[in-house]
Amino acid sequence: MPARDERPTVETMVRRARERLDCDVLVVSDESRDGTADAARGGGARVLELPIQLGAWGATQAGMRFAQRHGYDVVITLDADGQHDPDCLPALMAEYERGGTDVVIGTFPERLSGAKRLAWGWFRGMTGLAVEDLTSGLRVYGPRALRVLTSPEATLLDYQDVGVLLLLRKYGLRVRELPTPMLPRSAGHSRVFSSWFKVAGYMLQTTLLCLARVGRLGVSDRAMRRAEGLSA
Amino acid sequence: MTPLLTAALLGVGTALVILYLVRRDQMHGRYAFWWLSVATVALVFGLMPSLVDRLGHWFGVKYPPTLVVMLVLAALLVKLLVSDLDVTRRERRIRRLLQKTAILEAELRELRTEVDALRNAASHSGDESDVAAVVVEPPRKVVG
Repeated sequence: MPARDERPTVETMVRRARERLDCDVLVVSDESRDGTADAARGGGARVLELPIQLGAWGATQAGMRFAQRHGYDVVITLDADGQHDPDCLPALMAEYERGGTDVVIGTFPERLSGAKRLAWGWFRGMTGLAVEDLTSGLRVYGPRALRVLTSPEATLLDYQDVGVLLLLRKYGLRVRELPTPMLPRSAGHSRVFSSWFKVAGYMLQTTLLCLARVGRLGVSDRAMRRAEGLSA
Repeated sequence: MTPLLTAALLGVGTALVILYLVRRDQMHGRYAFWWLSVATVALVFGLMPSLVDRLGHWFGVKYPPTLVVMLVLAALLVKLLVSDLDVTRRERRIRRLLQKTAILEAELRELRTEVDALRNAASHSGDESDVAAVVVEPPRKVVG
């Protein structure tokens, strides 16, 4: 659970996640300055504290690396700001355990406003990704996905969205979606969609990323072997 | 001041500044190599400006100084590109290092809590030798 200055919500989120799933919860505090880490510990989470801000994906990857180091097979990521309802975690987990997939994404179709729909359409068209909600941070990652996403290759991504999905596809991993109800953000705000300037920057950056990756999309034998190599 | 003297001063000056920096250990490894090469070229052209004219003649350039400007621009472009690649590589390493720092810090914190708890338990039971044995024991799971 990546968190940046989410003190008001993080403790309840940790508690509720632990109640719903009976799992270990790890909060990655992305250079929070408001005591998020202590609040998270209060809720019973283990906490990573990044000394310098790495952004949502950097924090998430830190958590994944911790999980891998400590022998966890499956990692669920969700936002600490309260917009992802921990009540839906068991359903997501059940979907994952049904098998045949490496990643389950909890999608929020009703969230998509006109502008976002347009943006996602643009990225989908460019990449050919068949994923409804490209930016949802509510995801279940299995062991193969973890191996890909903890690699240095994934380190320079900035968001847990298109770049991550493209990387997963490059290694031939299977992604499934599960429509999920979403709560309104009780605190905090979208990092990406906070101002038009940022939106423009985000669109440009992600477009570039798509262009950079689009040539090597086909899952080659080599890519698969590399994925296997990673698992060795 | 003749143009010849200006060129010589510029070339030699550049070379001297670079040499000074490299000798002061302000420039590391392959950067030092690159800048020493630049210094050498600057020195050669500074001391023998007629070289430019001869080069221009060989390459069939009407106005030889443009050749120099073009080559310098090209070299700068390459250098910029290489340096941005380098910055990217560094950024990747720094991010991973920061993540590792956070991970190790969390592990250290948990181990410390455990050790403290054990120490407290031991001091209550009055058995000190047991503590040393526990402290030396390696951490439980170290994967990867």
